[in-house]
Amino acid sequence: MTTFERIEISVIFVVTFAVFILGVAILGFGREIGYVFHGWLIAIVAGWGLMNLINRMNDKQPDIPHEYADTVIKWGVWATFIWGVIGFTIGDLLAWQLAIPSWNGDMSWSNFGRVRPMHTTAVIFGFGGNALMATSFYVVQRTSRARLASEVSPWFVFFGYNLFVLLAVTGYPMGITQSKEYAEPEWYADLVLTFAWVGYLWLYMRTLANRAEPHIYVANWYYMGFIVVIAMLHVVNNLSMPISIAYPKSYSLFAGVQDAMTQWWYGHNAVGFLLTAGFLGMMYYFLPKAVNRPIYSYRLSIIGFWGITFLYLWAGSHHLHYTALPDWVQYLGMTMSVILLVPSWGSVFNGILTINGAWDKVRTDPAVRFMMVAMLFYGLATFEGSFLAIRPVNTLSHYTDWTVGHVHAGALGWVAFISFGAMYKMVPWIWKREGTYSLRLEAWHFWLALSGTLIYVGAMWNSGITQALMWQTYDADGNFVYAFIDTVDAMRPYYFARAIGGLLYLIGACLGAYNIYMTVKGPAMAPAPDKHRPIMQPGE
Amino acid sequence: MTHDTVLVFSKTWGAVYLLVVFLLAALWIYWPSHKKTYDKAAQSPLTDEEIKR
Repeated sequence: MTTFERIEISVIFVVTFAVFILGVAILGFGREIGYVFHGWLIAIVAGWGLMNLINRMNDKQPDIPHEYADTVIKWGVWATFIWGVIGFTIGDLLAWQLAIPSWNGDMSWSNFGRVRPMHTTAVIFGFGGNALMATSFYVVQRTSRARLASEVSPWFVFFGYNLFVLLAVTGYPMGITQSKEYAEPEWYADLVLTFAWVGYLWLYMRTLANRAEPHIYVANWYYMGFIVVIAMLHVVNNLSMPISIAYPKSYSLFAGVQDAMTQWWYGHNAVGFLLTAGFLGMMYYFLPKAVNRPIYSYRLSIIGFWGITFLYLWAGSHHLHYTALPDWVQYLGMTMSVILLVPSWGSVFNGILTINGAWDKVRTDPAVRFMMVAMLFYGLATFEGSFLAIRPVNTLSHYTDWTVGHVHAGALGWVAFISFGAMYKMVPWIWKREGTYSLRLEAWHFWLALSGTLIYVGAMWNSGITQALMWQTYDADGNFVYAFIDTVDAMRPYYFARAIGGLLYLIGACLGAYNIYMTVKGPAMAPAPDKHRPIMQPGE
Repeated sequence: MTHDTVLVFSKTWGAVYLLVVFLLAALWIYWPSHKKTYDKAAQSPLTDEEIKR
C-alpha cells in the first residue's frame, strides 16, 4: 500500500468509526423505538464496515487487478432494481388508496402523509440515485481508461448511500421526518449521506485526475455537476439543530419565507441536477454507445451543460408563486424557467439526432427504443415545466394533479426510461454476456411501461385541469359553485385510471428485474474469436 | 446594505456577469481550433475502451 492509500483508508476508518459511535449513541440514549432501531441499523452497518476496513488495513500486499472495478457496479444494479420495485409498488399502492380511500387501513403508519415520502424516496434516491451511481462508476472508468482510483471508497460510498436510503424509508412510517419535501430524513440520516456524498465526490475527482485520456468526456461533466450540486443543496437545506441525542427531532436553521425559498431552491435543483443533469450524463454515454454513433453535436452538449447549470439554480422560486416570497424573486424564477427550455430542448435534439443513421435500432433493440422515448418525454416534461412556471398558468395548475402528472411524465417517462435503456446495455457488458436474456421480455417491458406512463400522465392532466376549473368556477355573485368535496368526487375515474397505469408500469419493471436476473444467471460470453484467422474471401 | 441595493446589484451586474460568462463559454467551445479536440472526444466512447491505468 502506498502512503497515500494508507492515509485514505485511515480517513475512511475514522469517519466510519464516528458513524459507528453515532449509531451506538442513538441506540443507547434513544427514547423512541423507531429511533433506537435506526441506531442499531447504523451501528451494525458501520461496525461491519469497520471489520472489513481492519482486514483491508492488515493486508500488506492487497491485490489490485489491472481491470475495471465492476463489482461495486453490479451491486449498484441490484440496488437499483430492488429499490425500483419497492418504490413502484408503494407508489401504486398509494394510487389504489387514493382511488379507494378505505384501503389505507386507517392506521397512523399507513397514512398518506407517511407512505408518500416512502414512495418518493425509494424511487428518487433508491432507484434513481443507485442507477446514477452505478452508471457513473461505469462511465468514469471507461471514458478515463482508468480503474476507480480507490479500492475502499467505492464500497464506503455504496453502503453509506444505501444506509441513508434505508434509514429514510423505514423512518417515515414511524413518523420520523423533518417534513421538508424530498429532504424528509432527520439530521442523523443526513449526516450519513453527507459522509457518503463527500466520499463520492472525492472518488470521482480522483478517478478523473488519474485518467489516461487528455479530454474529460462530456458525460463526466454532467455527472460531476450532479454530484457537486447535490452536495451543496443537501448541506444547506438540512442545516438544523437536533433537540437532543435522545430524540430524532431537529429544528431547521431557517424560518418563514426564507425556509420556503431554501427548501425549493433545494427541491427544484434536486430535479435539475439529480433527475436531469445526472441522467443526461447517462444519456450522453449510453445512447451513442448503443447506436454506435458519436453525439450529434459534441459542442452543443457542452453549451447545454453550462446552460442547464447556470439557469436551473435560479428557477426554484417558481414553486412559490403568489406566496409571501417577494414578487421579483417569483418573476426571476419564472423567467429563468422559461429560458431553461432552450438548453433542455437543445439536449433533446442532440439526443434524437444522434440516432440519425441508426433508426433501424429503434425497431430492433428495445433498449434503444427506451432511450429514444426517454428523450421525447424529457422534451415533453421540460416544455411543460417551463409552461407551468409562468405565473398566470400556475394559478390554474398549482395545487392540482397537473403537477403530479408533470412530475411523473419526467420521472416515469424520462428518468426511468433512460435508466432501463442504460441498464439493458450495461448489464450484459459488465457481466460479460452476449446480450440480455430475452429481447421479447425487454419489448414487453417497454410497451407496458409506455402504456402505463401514458395512462398515468393522461389521467392526471384530465384530473388536474378538472380540479383547477371547478375550483375557479364562480356564480354571478362571486360565490363558489362547487364545494371542495365535489371536486374530490369528480376525481374518481382519473384516480382509478392512474392506479391501473401505475400497475402496468410496475408489472413492466418486474419483468425487467426478472430479465436482468436471468441475464446474470445465464451463460457467459464465449471468448473472443482468434483475430489472426485468415480473412474470408467473397464466395467462400 | 439594504434589500434594494442587493436587488439593483443583482439586476445589473449579476445579469451582465451571467451573460459574459455564457458568451465566453460559447466562444471557447466554438473557437475553430478547438474543433479537433471535440471531434476526437465525441468518438471516444465508440472505441474498445481498453484499460490503461
